[in-house]
Amino acid sequence: MNLLPVTVALAGLLALWELAIALFRVPGFVLPRPLDIATAVMENPGLYASGMLLTALEAIGGFAAGAALGFGLAVLMVLFRPLERALVPIAIAISSVPSIAFIPLALVWFGLGPVSKVAMAALAVVFVVLLNTLNGLKRPDREAINLLRSFGAGRLGILWRLQLPAAMPAVVTGLRVGLARSTIAVIVAEMLGAYAGIGQIIYQATVQVDALHVWAGVAVATAGSLLLNAVLVAVDRRLVWWS
Amino acid sequence: MPAEGLLALRNVWKRFHSGGTETVALHDVDFVIEPGQFVTLIGPSGCGKSTLFNIIAGLEEPDGDGSVLFQGQPQRHRDLLGKVSFMPQKDLLFPWRTVLDNAALALEIEGMPRKAARQKAAALFPEFGLQGFEKHYPRQLSGGMRQRVALMRTFLFERELLLLDEPFGALDALTRSMMQRWLLEIWARHRRTVLFITHDIDEAIFLGDRVIVMSARPGTVRCDERVDLPRPRSGEVMLTPQFLDVKRRLLAIVEEESRKTFSASA
Amino acid sequence: MEERPSLIAPVATAIVVVAAWWFLVPLLGINPRYLPSLSTVVADGLSIRSDLVAGFWRTFVETALGFLVGSLIGFAVGVVFAYIPILERAFLPILVAAQTIPVIAFGAIVVIWFGNTILAKVVIAFYLSFFPVTVATIRGLETVDRDRENLMRSFGASGRQIFLKLALPTALPLIMVGLKIGVSFSLAGAIVGEFFGDTVGLGVLLIQALYFEQVPRIWVLIVACAILGTIPYALLVLVERRWVWWRAE
Repeated sequence: MNLLPVTVALAGLLALWELAIALFRVPGFVLPRPLDIATAVMENPGLYASGMLLTALEAIGGFAAGAALGFGLAVLMVLFRPLERALVPIAIAISSVPSIAFIPLALVWFGLGPVSKVAMAALAVVFVVLLNTLNGLKRPDREAINLLRSFGAGRLGILWRLQLPAAMPAVVTGLRVGLARSTIAVIVAEMLGAYAGIGQIIYQATVQVDALHVWAGVAVATAGSLLLNAVLVAVDRRLVWWS
Repeated sequence: MPAEGLLALRNVWKRFHSGGTETVALHDVDFVIEPGQFVTLIGPSGCGKSTLFNIIAGLEEPDGDGSVLFQGQPQRHRDLLGKVSFMPQKDLLFPWRTVLDNAALALEIEGMPRKAARQKAAALFPEFGLQGFEKHYPRQLSGGMRQRVALMRTFLFERELLLLDEPFGALDALTRSMMQRWLLEIWARHRRTVLFITHDIDEAIFLGDRVIVMSARPGTVRCDERVDLPRPRSGEVMLTPQFLDVKRRLLAIVEEESRKTFSASA
Repeated sequence: MEERPSLIAPVATAIVVVAAWWFLVPLLGINPRYLPSLSTVVADGLSIRSDLVAGFWRTFVETALGFLVGSLIGFAVGVVFAYIPILERAFLPILVAAQTIPVIAFGAIVVIWFGNTILAKVVIAFYLSFFPVTVATIRGLETVDRDRENLMRSFGASGRQIFLKLALPTALPLIMVGLKIGVSFSLAGAIVGEFFGDTVGLGVLLIQALYFEQVPRIWVLIVACAILGTIPYALLVLVERRWVWWRAE
C-alpha cells in the first residue's frame, strides 16, 4: 500500500486544524491546538498510560471471554440444530439492543470495579462472533460436504476439515467488529461509573469542562485502540493464512 | 460376483415429491459395469444424471423398487459412502490447504497420519504434471491444474470405482482435449473402473469402452453402445470413419432426447 | 434459492422467554436485584409511561435526524471519494481506521461544544452513522465490474447513466449494510450523548435509574431501547426486501 497519500492527508488535516485556530482565533476551550494536546498528555504520562492500560486489559479480557463463548456456542449450534433454532432468535433480540443500554445493569450487578467493564466488553462481542461464526460454518455448499462424506468423513470430520476453516474469514470479521465494540463498551462504562480507566479520565475532564484534557483523553483512547486493532490484524493473518 | 459385474443397477427409480406433485427423476435404470471398464454416460440436461450420480456415490437412496449392487452385494442407504471415489464438476479444492494437502485430503480422512499421506500424495505429483506446485495454494493455479489436483485427490482415495461428473466441463477446448488424453494414459496405467458423466459426445466416445445414453426426463437408459476403437487412442482417432459412424448414431439419439426436453419445457 | 425463514421458532422462543420471565423468575426466587419478574417490570414501565413516551420520542428524533443527515452526507462523500482516486487513497485508510477507534468518546467534546442541547445528540448520532455509510459507499462503488462498465460504454452510455444504471445498483446492497450499521450506531450515539446530561430521553432515564439502582426500571429502558433499535432497522430491512433484493457479488 502506498502510504504517501495517507500521510499527506493526515498532515493536511493537522495543518487545517492549526490554520483554523490561527485564522478564526478559535479559543482553546473550543478547539485546542494539536501540540497543546500532545503536551497535556506528556505532562502527566503516568495517568494516561495507566488509565489506557486498565481500559485495554478490561477490553481484551472481556473480548477474549465473549469471543470464545460466541465461537463455542456457534459450533455447538451447528452440531445440534434445535439449539440453533431456540437460541438464535434470543441472540438476535439481545443484539438488537444497543449494548451500551446494558451498562447501568452491569454497574448495578457487578459494581464500579473492573468486573462490570469486562462483562460489558464480553457482551459487546459475544453475539457478533456468534452470528458471524454461525454464518461462516454454514457457508460450505452441499457438494463440498458430499465430497467429504464420500471419503467416509463423519460429522466431526466435516466440521474440523471443512466448516471450521471455511468459517475463519467470517470469524475474523466478527472479531474485528467485536473488538471495536468491546473497547467502546468499556470506555462508555468507565464514563458512567469507574474508579479508573481512560473513559473515567475523559468523563472527569468533561464534568470540569476542561476541553484540553478531554481531547488528551480521547487522543490516548484513539491511539490505544489503533494499537489493539493492529495486534488483532496480526492474529487475523494467522487465522486466514491462505488468502 | 462375475454375473453382477463391479456395479449393477437393477430397476432403479427415483421420485421426488413436493407440494403434492410427483416428479420422476429416474425410471427403471438398468446397467452393469464390469471391473476395469471405462464407461461414459451422456444425456440431455435435466435427465437425472446428477441424481444417478448421487445414488451411485451413496449420497442419495433409490426408491424401494430396485436395487444397487456393488461387488454383488446389495447396497442400502449410505453403504456406498467411502466405497466409490468420486469427483464432482467443481474442483472443490479447499482454499486453506496447499495443493499437496488438498490431494492428501481423502487419505487423512481415512485415518492415515498426515506425514504418510503427504508422502504418498507427493509421489503422484510428477505423473499428474504438478511437480513443484506442492506448496502452492489453489488460487495460484490455472483451471486445468486445479482439475488435475482434484483428480489426484480422487485417485488417491483408492477405490475400485471412480465416478467422475463432467470433470472437464469448465475447461477450455484445448486444455480439455489435453486432459482427456492424459486421463486415458493414467487410466491405462492404473486400470481402475471408471464411470464418466459428460454432455459432450466426442468426449464420451473418445474416452469410453462403452457409451450409455440417458433419455430425457424421466431418465432411463436409452441405449448402451460398445466402442471398439483400438487403444491407446490419440486425437487422430476422432477423424476415423469408425468414430464418426458411432458419433452419427449417438448424435441422432441425443438430439431426439434433447428435443423432448426442449419442447417439454417450452 | 434462499428459503423464507420460518416464524415458528422465533415466536415459540419469544413465548417461552416471556413466560419464563413472568412466572419462573419469581417462582425460583431469583434476587430481584439481578432479574425482577416481568410483571414487576411491566408495572414499573406503566408507572412512568408519560416520561417513557417522551423519552422514547426524544431519543428517536435525535437518532433519526442524526442518521438521516449522517447517511446522506456519508453517501455523498463516499461517491466523491470513490470517483476521485487520490482522495480515496488518502482518506479511505483513515476512515477505515476510524471504525476501529471509539469515536463515541468524541461525544464528550461535542457535548462541550454544544452543551446539553438536542443538537449535541444529533451531531453525535450524525458522525457515528457517517463513517460506516461512507466506507460502505466507497466499497460498494469499488465492486463495479470493469467488463460491465465497458459494455455500458459500448452502448454509448454517459457517465451519469453508468452511475445510475450500473454503479449505484451494484453498490446498493453494500450501502444497505452500511446504513444498518449506521442506524444502530446513531442510536447508541444519541443515548451516550444523553448520558452526558439532559432532561429528556431514554439515556437520561437510564442514568437516573442507575443512580437510584432501580433494577426494574433499567429493564424497562433496555426493552424500550430494543424497540427503538428494532424499528429503524426493520424499516431498512423492508426497504432492502422491496427495492434492493439483489445480492452483492
